[in-house]
Amino acid sequence: MSIIELENVSHRFPDGTAGLQNINLSIMEGTLSVIAGQNGSGKTTFLKHLNGLLLPNTGTVKIAGEPVIKDIHRARQLVGMVFQDADSQIVGETVEADVAFGPENLCLDPTDVRKRVTAALAVVGLTKLAAQRPHLLSGGEKRRLSIAGILAMEPRIVVFDEPFTSLDYPGTQQVLQEILKLKQSGHTILVTTHDLEKVIYYADRLIIMHAGKIVRDGLPDNIVREVEAFGVREPCTSRLGMEALPWHN
Amino acid sequence: MAQLTAFSYRSGNSYAHALDVRIKLILLMLVSLAVMDAGPTALGVMSLCLMILVRYLHLPLKSVCVELRYFLILLALVFIARSLSTAGDPLIVWKWLTISREGMKAGAVVVWRIMLVVLVGLTFVATTRPTEIKAAVEWFLKPVPLIPRARIGTMIGLVLRFIPLIFTQAGETLDAQRARAVEHRKNPYYRLTKFVIPFFRRTFETADKLAVAMEARCYSENRTNPQFSARRRDFMVLAVCAVFCCLIFLF
Amino acid sequence: MDTSRQLHMTVYAALFAALTAVGAYLAIPIGPVPIVLQNLFVLLTGLLLGSRWGLAAVGIYLLAGACGLPVFAGGMGGIGRLIGPTGGYLLGYLPAVYLIGLISEKSDQRTVFDVLAMLCGSIIVYACGVTWLKVVSGMSWSKTLALGMYPFLIGDALKIAVAVPIAKALRPLIQVPKSRATISREDNSQPVTRK
Repeated sequence: MSIIELENVSHRFPDGTAGLQNINLSIMEGTLSVIAGQNGSGKTTFLKHLNGLLLPNTGTVKIAGEPVIKDIHRARQLVGMVFQDADSQIVGETVEADVAFGPENLCLDPTDVRKRVTAALAVVGLTKLAAQRPHLLSGGEKRRLSIAGILAMEPRIVVFDEPFTSLDYPGTQQVLQEILKLKQSGHTILVTTHDLEKVIYYADRLIIMHAGKIVRDGLPDNIVREVEAFGVREPCTSRLGMEALPWHN
Repeated sequence: MAQLTAFSYRSGNSYAHALDVRIKLILLMLVSLAVMDAGPTALGVMSLCLMILVRYLHLPLKSVCVELRYFLILLALVFIARSLSTAGDPLIVWKWLTISREGMKAGAVVVWRIMLVVLVGLTFVATTRPTEIKAAVEWFLKPVPLIPRARIGTMIGLVLRFIPLIFTQAGETLDAQRARAVEHRKNPYYRLTKFVIPFFRRTFETADKLAVAMEARCYSENRTNPQFSARRRDFMVLAVCAVFCCLIFLF
Repeated sequence: MDTSRQLHMTVYAALFAALTAVGAYLAIPIGPVPIVLQNLFVLLTGLLLGSRWGLAAVGIYLLAGACGLPVFAGGMGGIGRLIGPTGGYLLGYLPAVYLIGLISEKSDQRTVFDVLAMLCGSIIVYACGVTWLKVVSGMSWSKTLALGMYPFLIGDALKIAVAVPIAKALRPLIQVPKSRATISREDNSQPVTRK
C-alpha cells in the first residue's frame, strides 16, 4: 500500500524560480527510497512538501491517504523530518528536554511524554546522556538525538535530508545503523543525498532529481549507471562492475 | 568557552535538590528581599545558616570566588566609595580623604547584603536544573493574564540552547577573519561592522532553520504543562523561612 | 500575524536575548581597550526587532537572569546581579530597547531617526544605571558620573555609529516571510500557516 502519494505537484518560489515541476510519485509503506541529485535539484523542496512546510502551487500531496493540506498537524506527526544541520534543529536545553519537545507539542499527558522520551532515547542509545547539554554531544550523537526527537512523535515515515553531511566514519556508521533499525521496525524511509556510496546497498528504490523534476526512478541496479549525467557520482562498486556492498560494518 | 559561567547545576540527592522548585523560587525571592532589609545581626544569622548549607552541599567556594572576581572588585570599590563619602566620625584622615566610622559600617552592610543575595542565588542554581527553573517560571506566570507563558517557557529554553551555539559561531567568525589578517585594520568602525554583520547573518540563519525544525515538530503554544510535586515538608520549610523573613522586615 | 511568523519572531527574540547574554563576553580587541559588544547588541535588538519583540527579548534575558539561570556575565548572580552596583544598567535596557524600537518603527527606519532613537536609548540606560550606582555606592553625582558614564561615552558613540550600517544590512533578513527566498536557494522555505 502506498503511504506517500504526489499528483502533479508543482512549486514555484516567490521570486519566480521553479522548485518542483510536475512531480508524480507514490511510495510504498515500509520501503527505503533514496532521492539523489545535485545541489539545487529540488530534493529539500520536495521533502518539505511532505509535512506541509511548503505547500504546492498545483497538485496534491497525500500522506496515508489524506491530503496534507487538510490537516497539516497530522502530516507533521506522521512524517518525521531529520534536517541536514543537526545543530540547528535541537530545541531543548538538555537531551531529555529536546526529545520531550515534540510530544509536549502534541499535548500528551506528562506520564506519556516521559514514556515516549525514555523509549526514544533507548532506541538511539542515548539513555545515559539524558541530562547532558546538547552542544557537548559529538556529531553522530547530535544526529541520533534529532532522530530520537522525531521518534518520540511516533511517525510512520522518517525523512532524512543529507544525513551524512559532516559526520566522521563512526558517526556515519551510527546513523546508518539507526536508519536500518527504523526500516526493520516498519517505518517508511526517505533519504536524500548527492553521494550514493553509503546508502545504495540498502535502497529499495532510487529516485534521481534534476532541476525540480524526477528524471529517473526505479530499482537501484537498473539506473545506477545513468546517474552521472545528473551530477551524482556513480558508486565505486558499480563502476567496477561489482554488486553494491554494505557500508555499516 | 561555551558557557557564560563555569558554575551551574551540580547533581546530587540532598534535600535541597528534592525541594519543590516553585517553593525554592519563592524562597529565593523572599530571602533576597529580606536580606536587602536586614541589619547586621540578622545578616550574621543568615550568613551562618547559609554557610552551613554551603558546607552541606559541598559547594566549591574557592572556584566561586575566582569566577566572581570582577564582581568582588566592584563590591570593594563600592565599599571604598561608601566609606569615603559618608559623613561622620573621622576614623582615618589622609590629606583630603576622610574615612568615617559610619561610612565603613554602611559600606560593609551594603557589600555584605549583596554578597549574601549572590550566595543564596548560587545555592539555588547549584541545586536546581535549568529545565526545572524554566518550568517553575512558566507555572508562576499561569495566573497572569495576557502573558503567553508557554511561549516564555519555550524562549527561556531556547536562550539556554542558543548561548553555546552563539559562542561557537562567534569564535569561528573571528578565526576566519583572523586567518585573513583582520588585525592589520586598526579602524574600530571597520572591525565592528565587518565582524557583526557576518556573525549576525549566520546566527539568523541558524534561528531560521531552528524555527522551521520547530514547525516540523508540530510546535504549538498549547502544550503539555510541566509537572511538580510539593510535599508537606516543603511547605514547612517555606513557612519557617517566611516567619524568619517577616521577623527581619518587622525589626 | 500568522503562526509561522509569530514562531519566527519568538525564535528571533530568544536569539537576541542569548546574543545580549553572550555580548557581555564578546569583545573586539582594538588598541588597549577591548570593545565589549553587549550594549551594541541591545541597540540592535531595538532596531531590528522593534518595540514589542525587542522588549520581549530583553525581558526574557532579565527574567532568566533574575531566576538564577546562567545568562549574566562574570559568573552567576540571579537577583544579586540586578541589585548589585551595575544592576541599574541591566534594568535600563528594558525601557531603552522599547523606546529605540518605537522610534525606529514610527520613523520608517530612516538613518537620522535611528541615531536619535539610539541616543535616547543610551540616555535612558545611563539614567537608570547611574542613579542606581549612586544609590548603592552613596557617591556624589559628579563622582558617580565620572565613574559610571564618562569613560564609556566614546565607545558608545562608536557603537551608535556602527549600529546604523549594521541595522541597514541586517533588516532585510528579519522581515521573515517576504525576502527569505533571496538568501539561499536550497533553504528558501516559505513557511505555511497552520490553520
